[in-house]
Amino acid sequence: MKTKDNRPKYLNLLKIRLPITGIASINHRLSGLILFLAIPVSLYLFQLSLSSEAGFAEMLTCLSSSWIKLALVLLIWSFVHHLLAGFRFLLIDQNIGISLPIARKSAWFVVFAAVIITLIISGVWVL
Amino acid sequence: MRFKIYRYNPETDKKPYMQDFVLDNISDDMMLRDALLLIKAEDETFTFRHSCGEGVCGSDAVNINGTNGLACKSRLSELKEPIEVRPVPSMPVIRDLVVDMEQFYHHYRAIKPYLTVKDPVPEVEFLQTPQQREKLDGLYECILCGCCTTACPSFWWNPDKFRGPAALLQSYRFLADSRDQATSERLQELDGPYRMFRCHSIMNCVNVCPKGLNPTEAIHSIKKLMVKDLV
Repeated sequence: MKTKDNRPKYLNLLKIRLPITGIASINHRLSGLILFLAIPVSLYLFQLSLSSEAGFAEMLTCLSSSWIKLALVLLIWSFVHHLLAGFRFLLIDQNIGISLPIARKSAWFVVFAAVIITLIISGVWVL
Repeated sequence: MRFKIYRYNPETDKKPYMQDFVLDNISDDMMLRDALLLIKAEDETFTFRHSCGEGVCGSDAVNINGTNGLACKSRLSELKEPIEVRPVPSMPVIRDLVVDMEQFYHHYRAIKPYLTVKDPVPEVEFLQTPQQREKLDGLYECILCGCCTTACPSFWWNPDKFRGPAALLQSYRFLADSRDQATSERLQELDGPYRMFRCHSIMNCVNVCPKGLNPTEAIHSIKKLMVKDLV
């Protein structure tokens, strides 16, 4: 006989449907984490670029590798998504657009707009 | 119609498993609760909670195809097959779809879900203007089914500390009541990093509420009252 303490709990995140408002929220956290982790790397590259002409050239070669370019696209997405979702959360905090139909629409907008703006910026700057 | 049902018997099963059922005699107007009753007629060891059958008692909250809802208000014809029915997430499973709701009720009790009056009680009934009464709309309708709280990621990760959307909506129901006189005490109880401030406006609660209520809005209203109370 099982006791009260070892009862199973159902919490399979792959089976529980996350609504679009939830996706906007978890992406907000994920993008925030990525931005935070990117701070030391960005600072290092920035410092390298300012150190000397050779350092600047070294930074440019660093940025031209395709892996770094991919990371840069991810970083741009993180920034754009975090910014847009941040505005959305600030408005929701003011009870603006807090009703479910509008909150769903704004979440769809944030998720899609972040991807589209990332693609545009990446096309212009990275590639 | 095909069903996949979460099964767990603590006396015989080491861990939960999914069992397939097929029902032939399904009509268009049937709800998931009707199908669960047919399954129980087929296999009487199958256990689930239900009572009124019309979305008033809040007993039959389950996770249907990944989304929390009341079995009695979920029309079978609107659900994708196979219909997967599991207990509400993150609650200890007693058997099959029956979960232990103690943690949920603990938080409900903690917000003191009753009017607190310090002045002498009037000899006749309390009076409210229609405008004061209107403030309780969208709050008093909660049936405490637990769909919202068990769909909330903040509650999943801090079930012992975060009050959860249902309890917080009820807390605001009494904060918004013109007859209640315990505003400061109620707000103090909710202060701190966990009890209310774990809410990150994910809005899963609003997405699943079978009564169409908005706990996120209630939580933001409490936050505003907190600011007013401080200033």
